[in-house]
Amino acid sequence: MAQPLVKKDDDRDDEAEYSPFLGIEKGAVLQEARVFNDPQLDARRCSQVITKLLYLLNQGETFTKVEATEVFFAVTKLFQSRDIGLRRMVYLMIKELSPSADEVIIVTSSLMKDMNSKTDMYRANAIRVLCRITDGTLLTQIERYLKQAIVDKNPVVASAALVSGIHLLQTNPEIVKRWSNEVQEAVQSRAALVQFHALGLLHQIRQNDRLAVSKLVTSLTRGTVRSPLAQCLLIRYTTQVIRESGINTQTGDRPFYDFLESCLRHKAEMVIFEAARAITELNGVTSRELTPAITVLQLFLSSSKPVLRFAAVRTLNKVAMTHPMAVTNCNIDMESLISDQNRSIATLAITTLLKTGNESSVDRLMKQITNFMSDIADEFKIVVVEAIRSLCLKFPLKYRSLMNFLSNILREEGGFEYKKAIVDSIVILIRDIPDAKESGLLHLCEFIEDCEFTYLSTQILHFLGIEGPKTADPSKYIRYIYNRVHLENATVRAAAVSTLAKFGALVDSLKPRIFVLLRRCVYDSDDEVRDRATLYLNTLGGDGAVVETDKDVKEFLFGSLDIPLGNLETSLKHYEPSEERFDINSVPKEVKSQPLAEKKATGKKPTGLGAPPSGPVSTVDAYEKLLSSIPEFSDFGKLFKSSAPVELTEAETEYAVNAVKHIFDRHVVFQYNCTNTIPEQLLENVTVIVDASEAEEFSEALTKPLRSLPYDSPGQTFVAFEKPDGVPAVGKFSNMLRFIVKEVDTSTGEAEDDGVEDEYQLEELDVVAADYMMKVGVSNFRNAWESIGEDFERVDEYGLGPRESLTEAVSAVISLLGMQPCEGTEVVPNNSRSHTCLLSGLFIGNVKVLVRLQFGIDGPKEVAMKLIVRSEDESVSDMIHEIVASG
Amino acid sequence: MGLWEAFLNWLRSLFFKQEMELSLIGLQNAGKTSLVNVVATGGYSEDMIPTVGFNMRKVTKGNVTIKLWDLGGQPRFRSMWERYCRAVSAIVYVVDAADSDNLSISKSELHDLLSKPSLNGIPLLVLGNKIDKPGALSKQSLTDQMDLKAISDREVCCFMISCKNSTNIDSVIDWLVKHSKSKS
Repeated sequence: MAQPLVKKDDDRDDEAEYSPFLGIEKGAVLQEARVFNDPQLDARRCSQVITKLLYLLNQGETFTKVEATEVFFAVTKLFQSRDIGLRRMVYLMIKELSPSADEVIIVTSSLMKDMNSKTDMYRANAIRVLCRITDGTLLTQIERYLKQAIVDKNPVVASAALVSGIHLLQTNPEIVKRWSNEVQEAVQSRAALVQFHALGLLHQIRQNDRLAVSKLVTSLTRGTVRSPLAQCLLIRYTTQVIRESGINTQTGDRPFYDFLESCLRHKAEMVIFEAARAITELNGVTSRELTPAITVLQLFLSSSKPVLRFAAVRTLNKVAMTHPMAVTNCNIDMESLISDQNRSIATLAITTLLKTGNESSVDRLMKQITNFMSDIADEFKIVVVEAIRSLCLKFPLKYRSLMNFLSNILREEGGFEYKKAIVDSIVILIRDIPDAKESGLLHLCEFIEDCEFTYLSTQILHFLGIEGPKTADPSKYIRYIYNRVHLENATVRAAAVSTLAKFGALVDSLKPRIFVLLRRCVYDSDDEVRDRATLYLNTLGGDGAVVETDKDVKEFLFGSLDIPLGNLETSLKHYEPSEERFDINSVPKEVKSQPLAEKKATGKKPTGLGAPPSGPVSTVDAYEKLLSSIPEFSDFGKLFKSSAPVELTEAETEYAVNAVKHIFDRHVVFQYNCTNTIPEQLLENVTVIVDASEAEEFSEALTKPLRSLPYDSPGQTFVAFEKPDGVPAVGKFSNMLRFIVKEVDTSTGEAEDDGVEDEYQLEELDVVAADYMMKVGVSNFRNAWESIGEDFERVDEYGLGPRESLTEAVSAVISLLGMQPCEGTEVVPNNSRSHTCLLSGLFIGNVKVLVRLQFGIDGPKEVAMKLIVRSEDESVSDMIHEIVASG
Repeated sequence: MGLWEAFLNWLRSLFFKQEMELSLIGLQNAGKTSLVNVVATGGYSEDMIPTVGFNMRKVTKGNVTIKLWDLGGQPRFRSMWERYCRAVSAIVYVVDAADSDNLSISKSELHDLLSKPSLNGIPLLVLGNKIDKPGALSKQSLTDQMDLKAISDREVCCFMISCKNSTNIDSVIDWLVKHSKSKS
């Protein structure tokens, strides 16, 4: 629905170059809207007024409820006019005003009349408006007309109905799904737009049914799609199907690749581009598959249309990240794009070249980038910064010019995201290229002298605190840091105080001067700043004595917290001020990563399968509370770890039992969560008879029976075992549920007095080595790895035999060890042939363990693994190897 | 002579073309849309669907063009009647004369509406529809039960009609046409 031009009217004013709507005011336009109520309507004038109203709305002007209602009802009176142009404006106005549901219903009847009008324009637009305002009940009334409209011979009407269908699918899916036949017919339409919209709707109707989507794509790729837009859509759906179906393992062929490849020869450019992009984005695309796509993109690079050049270079830029070699063919064309008038194209061309180019071309490219950096948008500047960063890591020898470039752009204007990208890049370069450290730190220091982003300032100050003291001349950073204490807001000041203290702690020669500075900070206006200064002065010995700072103090002040911050937060929230101090050792160290699994368990049966009535908030806390409430277990010491519940019965049996293994230093407690699912029974004196004959190191210590287990209210019984201290004893336990059954009269709920003793066989329970390992993450694996030292390092290699994939092998080893994957290394990139996985954990006896796993896979899916263990205890390092060797 | 008269009328209508605007209201299923159809085309259908919102019809009778706002009678539309009654030439209120259960609601809706200051002085035509049905009220009892005598600030008129049998439709049109003349 296009707005009619009202420009002619304003040509009378001599200022035709101004917008005809310049300076119109809401109040005046609302006054003008009174013409809608005239007995003799002036259609032309009404159209103009509506145009003004629409203009106001689109400029962000809002109408009050009263104003909107007033205008809406006035507009509905315009249905009396037979002027086609005015009616269009009325439709638009109703859609834009979108009055409340109880008012808008007043136009329903009029719209339904228009929907069946002879005028195509009325029909199409009435459908659009009606579908916008309609609700479920009304929709069923007009469904018949909508179905007709979908197959209407007028493409505008058909499109309107189809697009409305797409919108309605969100709110009334079951109704729209009934239109499949009509929509399918519309897909065969000769009109390009109808075909496009019909395909979109048909796909949305079926999108949750993978098989149906696959069928749809299969039938349409045989070539009935005429519209280029629909063809593009089809390409997208095809890639979706490809993604989900995977490569044909026998022939190595990719389904539908031929179709994509044939689209590269389509006559419409958009289809060619869509197909080329689809090919480049295929999972694990081979260079043979890539070649034809790259060839057409290369042709686009020299097109006269900027949009094609842009699209092509942007796609090639992405390809260059994964397949730089494939793109090198286009380098010559890309070189010529560096001087392209369109800055976005030039940026992408340069960054692509940076990715594919060699060391010798770096300087030349850098010079060219510098020339136009100021002309491009932040978004593209970030692209450039990221390209520079990876380039610098690739060619460390070039760091000088690249670092200079980064520091130059850091000084220029820019938004937060852009500045953050630059700072991140410099930090990474400092960390990875030792030569760049001094200059990089100084650049950062200069930046915080004039930095408007608190987040970045604190981040840099923290980083300075770590890296600064290790440089040759730490004193030169002090001035920059201390300036912050004078010039910045409280958050930055506090960060600066911490950084100063770090310098003081690590560099003894600076200590007296740092103390002077810290003492001044004690008079700061902000609590946090003062507190920090006082804390540091006291712990570092600010009383004047220049002594070497104690290792403990350093650890206390600057060591990393080996507790997940989330756990600490919850513990602190639960802590109530009292005589008893908050004990940081009571914070659970376990990384909570099972909210998903727990959700599943509770979702399956809302009444719970017997686990203690703990929310998914913190099972560890709940278990600990539960166990400490039982006097028999009170002398077992602190709970080390509780396993996830293990099901000991099939689902849907008479008695549902699962078990949780609680590990203590010298004991293991099995908690059996039992649920009675038979309404006619009451169970009493429920125990589990455990046969530990296959678990030699364990000896049964005590059993705590469950006195009564009524229908559908879970209860727990416990069995405790003693085991050698600190030894990760493993074993297999067979279980038998023993109890006394009493019949229950379901009508009265009373149980009979006499019961019968009965038994029920449960599945076996294993205690494995992973039960003794607690998932504890480390924030910086590299640091942790270095600090734990190689004293107790154990290295060995293992063959894991044939595996489905590397991912599967990695997750198998992780679950075998029961350790916490660090830095996201549990994710194996697609199609990689090797992978390194970092794990950390805490072994029983609070022994920190770090593991570096290196996996490799060869042709026949044979996986080999190198296992490097570092821990604080030699025997534990060996134990880890034993676990893997026996698993 | 009759021919001459007709010719004169036709001639007059060319020069003195008149317009009037009417609002048709009343409870649901009173026969408003049927009345519009009967007035416009003379056709009657048993099978009608409730009006959701309003229908706008233009009817020409003689030299008068009548704009008819035929409004839905369901409760959710009643609050909106007033907006479509402002500045009309006359309000036509249709009552189902055979549905005595709802008469009191009909009455209170009518009186509520007429109490709106924006509608002051607008003539009211009350039509008792469906007199073809057994048990339909007489004109007198309708007038009484609707308490039409209490309306004193405007011209009020009442007809008993049947859309089904086209009873009294002519007098309704006459009244309307005459009314438009007297007004302008």
